[in-house]
Amino acid sequence: MAEKPGDLVQGTLDMLILKTLALEPMHGYGIAVRIEQVSIGVFRVNAGSLFVALQRLQRAGLIQSEWKATENSRRAKYYALTEQGRKRLNSETREWGRQVAAIARILEAS
Amino acid sequence: MSLVGNILTLLRSIASGLRSLFRKERVEKELDEELNGFLEMAIEEKMKQGLGRKEALRAVRLERGGLDATKEEVRSARWESFLEACWQDLRFAVRMLRKNPGSTAAVVVALALGIGMNTTVFSFANALLFRPPVGVEAPNQLLEIWLHNRQSSGIEGYLPLTYPDYTYYRDHGQSFEGMLAFDGDPHSVVWNRSGEGEIVQGQLVSGNFFSLLGVNAVLGRTISAGDDQASNPQPVVVLGHSFWQQHLGSDPGIIDKNLILNGSNYTVIGVAPPGFAGLLAGIEPDFWAPITMVEQIIRDKGRLSNRNGYWLLVAGRLKPGANARTAAAEALVLAHQIEQDHPDTNKNLDAITYPTTLVPAPYRIYVRAFAGLLLGVFALVLLIACANAASLLLARMTARAREMTVRSVLGASRVRLIRQMLIESTLLSGLAGGAGLILAYWCAPFLLALKPASLPITLRTPIDWRVFLFATSLALITGVTFGLTPALRSAKVQAAPVLKDETQSAGRRKSRLRTFIMIGEVAVCVVLLVGASLCVKSLMNASSIDPGFDTQHVAVATLDPGSMGYSEPQRRAFYEQLTQHIRALPGVSSASFVNHLPMGPAREQTTVTAGAPSDEPLQGAVPVDVFRIAPGYFQTMGILLLRGRDFGVSESDEPAGVAIINEALARRLWPGADPVGQRITSGGDKSATEIIGVVKTGKYRTLGEDPIPVAYLATLPPRRTLVLRTSGDPKFLLDAIRREIQTVDRNMAATDLETMQQYMSLPLFPARTVGLLLGASGVLALVLTCVGLFGVISYIVSQRTHEIGIRVALGARRGDVLRLVLKQGLSVTAIGLALGLGVALVAARLLSSLLYGIGPNDPATLIGVSVALTVVALLACYLPARRATRVDPMVALRYE
Repeated sequence: MAEKPGDLVQGTLDMLILKTLALEPMHGYGIAVRIEQVSIGVFRVNAGSLFVALQRLQRAGLIQSEWKATENSRRAKYYALTEQGRKRLNSETREWGRQVAAIARILEAS
Repeated sequence: MSLVGNILTLLRSIASGLRSLFRKERVEKELDEELNGFLEMAIEEKMKQGLGRKEALRAVRLERGGLDATKEEVRSARWESFLEACWQDLRFAVRMLRKNPGSTAAVVVALALGIGMNTTVFSFANALLFRPPVGVEAPNQLLEIWLHNRQSSGIEGYLPLTYPDYTYYRDHGQSFEGMLAFDGDPHSVVWNRSGEGEIVQGQLVSGNFFSLLGVNAVLGRTISAGDDQASNPQPVVVLGHSFWQQHLGSDPGIIDKNLILNGSNYTVIGVAPPGFAGLLAGIEPDFWAPITMVEQIIRDKGRLSNRNGYWLLVAGRLKPGANARTAAAEALVLAHQIEQDHPDTNKNLDAITYPTTLVPAPYRIYVRAFAGLLLGVFALVLLIACANAASLLLARMTARAREMTVRSVLGASRVRLIRQMLIESTLLSGLAGGAGLILAYWCAPFLLALKPASLPITLRTPIDWRVFLFATSLALITGVTFGLTPALRSAKVQAAPVLKDETQSAGRRKSRLRTFIMIGEVAVCVVLLVGASLCVKSLMNASSIDPGFDTQHVAVATLDPGSMGYSEPQRRAFYEQLTQHIRALPGVSSASFVNHLPMGPAREQTTVTAGAPSDEPLQGAVPVDVFRIAPGYFQTMGILLLRGRDFGVSESDEPAGVAIINEALARRLWPGADPVGQRITSGGDKSATEIIGVVKTGKYRTLGEDPIPVAYLATLPPRRTLVLRTSGDPKFLLDAIRREIQTVDRNMAATDLETMQQYMSLPLFPARTVGLLLGASGVLALVLTCVGLFGVISYIVSQRTHEIGIRVALGARRGDVLRLVLKQGLSVTAIGLALGLGVALVAARLLSSLLYGIGPNDPATLIGVSVALTVVALLACYLPARRATRVDPMVALRYE
C-alpha cells in the first residue's frame, strides 16, 4: 500500500469529498488532487468513482454545484457543501472515529 | 436521517433523474464539459511536469480512466438509466415481435382468449361479490341479519325475517344506529297509465331505508319513517331514476302527481339518484313504496302481523365505535329473546349477521363456487395458451442463440439477457391482457343477453379497477410463467459451440423441453375436454327430458284482477269475456287457465288419503302437488287424458267435489285398479272428492325430478295464467293476445306474456349458459392444442431437415419420411393422451354428483375425446410431415 497509490476503503470516498468541500467550494479535479495531496499519495481518485460519488451526493442534497471560472480562466463546475452536508459530515466523522478506535483496540489486543 | 429527510432525498433524486431523462442533451453536454475539464486539468498538470501532450494524455488515461468509460460509469449509476435500458429492451422486443407477425399474432390471440374468458367470469363475480352498492354511504358499516334454523343444514336453513321479527330487532338492537328492511322479491304491479295497463316493478322498503343508506332524492324527498307507520301507512312512492327518465320523460313537475298502481292512487314524493338500485344485485326497481303499504299494494291481508311469513331482508348500520362482533352477539341474544316469547314460530331460529353485499349472504357461496369452477376451467385454457407461448419462445430462442451469444460476448450480463427475454414475454402477455380486457368488455353483455327476456334482471358488469387489476396481474403472471424457462435457458449460452455454428446439441435439448411442454399441453387439453363434454352431455340430457306437455304450440300470460281490487262478479265477467275473445283469435284451437304453470317458482301442496273422511284410511297420507285448472287445460297443454273425463263447464270454478289426478298418484293409492269413481280426502277436509279422470304424469318442479303425485282441482284463485294452443308459431299471437286483453279491460295488463318455449328457457337458462361456456372452453382448448402441436412438429422437422436429407439420399422413400415425422408427433400425442385420461378419470369423480344421466367414466366420452384429439394431432402433424417429404437431399446437405 505504501508503494502504489491504492483504492479507497469502501464507502469512505463520500466522507472524504465532504471533508474536502468543508474547507472551500471546489471543482472535481481540485477535489481529486486535494485528497491525493493530503493523503500524501496514499489514495488515488479515479474519475469514474469521483463523479459517480459527486452525482450521488448532489442528488442526496449534501452538496450543490455551480459553474464558475477557475483561476486559469477555465469554466468548471464548483461543488459546495450544503447545511445538510455539513451535518452529515459531522455525524460521519464522529462515527468513523468511534469505529477506527474500536478497530485499533481489537488489532492491538492479542 | 429523519423520514422527512429520506423523502426529500428521494424526491430530489427523482427530480434530477427526470431532468436528465427529459433534458437529456443538456445534462449530457454538462457532464461532457465537466469531464473534459477534469481531464484537461490533469493533462496540464502532467505537462507542467515536462511530459509532451501525447504522453500526458496516455498517463492521465492510465491513472484516471478514459473519458468514455467514465461517462458510462457515471451514467449507469443513475436510476433513470435503468429505465432507459428497459425502454431500449422494450423497443427491441417490439422489433423482434414485428419480425414474426404471424406467430406473434397466434400467441397473442391465444393468450387474449384465455385472459379474456377469465376476465369475463371475474367481471361477473366482481359485479356480484365485490362491487359495493351504488350511491350507498359507507356500505362496509352495514350488516345483514338472517335467521338460521339450528336443526337444518344448507341453504334451506336460512330464512329472511318476518315483519314482527324485524320490528323487534329494529327497536332493541343497541349496536346499530338503525335497521332497515326491504322486500326480497320485487313486485310486478299494474301501472294504469292514462287508461292502459303497464307492468312495473316495485320494491317495498322501510321508512328509514333511504336515510340509513345516506341516499338523497334528486327531486322531492325520500320515504320517511312517518310514511311507514303500520297504523297509518302513506300511499307514497319514490321513483327509480331510469324509470323517471324513460317512462316519464324526466318530468320535473312529477312531484305530488298521482300514479295508479294496482288500481289505487299513489303520490310521487321523490326521484332516486341515478344509479341507485337498492341493495340487491340484478334488481333495479321502478319505484319504492313503504313496507307497511304491503297489504294494500299486493292485497295480502295480515302480512304485517304474520309470524310465519318470512319475506324481509334486513340490514343494520353499525353505530360509530360499535364492532361487528358485538353486533352479531347482540343479534343472537335478541333471537333467543324472540324464541322465548314465540316458541311456536321461532323455535330453533338463531340470528346470523354478515357484511352486506349485493348478493344475500346465504347465496354468496353459490356465486363463489360457480365463479370458481368457471375460473378453474378457463385457467386450464390459459395454461394451454401459456404452453403454446412458451414453446414458441423456446423455438425462437434457438433461432436467436447466435444473437444472445454475441450479446453476452460483447459484455451483456446474464441479468440483462434474462431481463430482455422477460420483457419480450411480458410484452406479449401485456398485449394479450389489453385484448383480453376488450374481449371481456364485449363478452359480459353478450352473456347477459342470453338470459330469458322475461327474467327481470339487470346487472352492470363494468370494467372497474378491480377487473383491470385482475386482468393486469393475470397478464403479468402469464408473461412470467411462459417466459421464465426460455429466459433462463437463453442466459445459459455457451459461446464457443454456438459461434462455431454447432447448434445441434443445444437445439436437441431445447426440442426435448418443448416435447415435454407439448405432452403437458395435450394432457391438460384431455382433462378439459373430458370434463367439458361430460358436463355438456349431462346438461343436454337434463334439458332434453320431456316435460310432459307441449312446448311448441302454446302461449301463456299471467293475469291478476284480484290485485286491482276487482270484486268476484267483476273477475268472473272479465275472465269469461277474455276467454271468448281469445278463442275467437285466428289459429287458436283452445284456451284455458291454470293457477300457476308447472316448472315455475310457485307451488301448492297438500296431503291426500284414499276414501271418504269417515272411512278408515287404507294407507298413509300421500303428499301431492295441487294445480287448479279450468276446463280444456289438458287439451291446450297437450297432456294425455288416460281415463275418465275433463272438468265440465258447469263444474268450473265451483266447489263441485271432483278432481283429476295423475298416473303417479293413481299408482300410489290404487295400484293396478281403476281410480275413476274412487274418492280421496285432502288433509283437513270434511268431505271427499271424487276422481273423474287420470292424466299422464309429467314434470312439475324440475326436469330431473322423480314422478310426483299431482291432483288437479276445478276451483281457481283470482290470479291465473292463461294458456292457449295454436296450430302455428305462438310467437305471432303475442301481440294479438295483448290487444285482446286491453280490449276486454283497458286497465289490465298481463305479466309474463310469452310463448311456452320462452317460459321454459328460464328453468333451462343456467344449464344453457354453463353448457355454452364449457363448450367454448373445450373448442378453444382443442384449437390451441392443434396450433401448439403444429408449431412443435414444424420446428422438429426444420431441425431435422439435414438428417432427413441424408435419409432420402440413402434411399428412404416418401412413405418412410412421412411415417418418421408422424410417429414423432403422434407419440407426443399418445403420451399426453394417456396421461390426461388418467388424470381425467380421477378428476371426473369429483364431478359425478353434478352429472345427470351419465357416469363419470362414460366410455363414449372418453373414446370421443381420444378420437377427436388424435384426429386433430394427425392434422397438426400432417402438414409439416408433408413438407419433410419434399426435402431435396441436395439442398438439405448443402445447407450446413
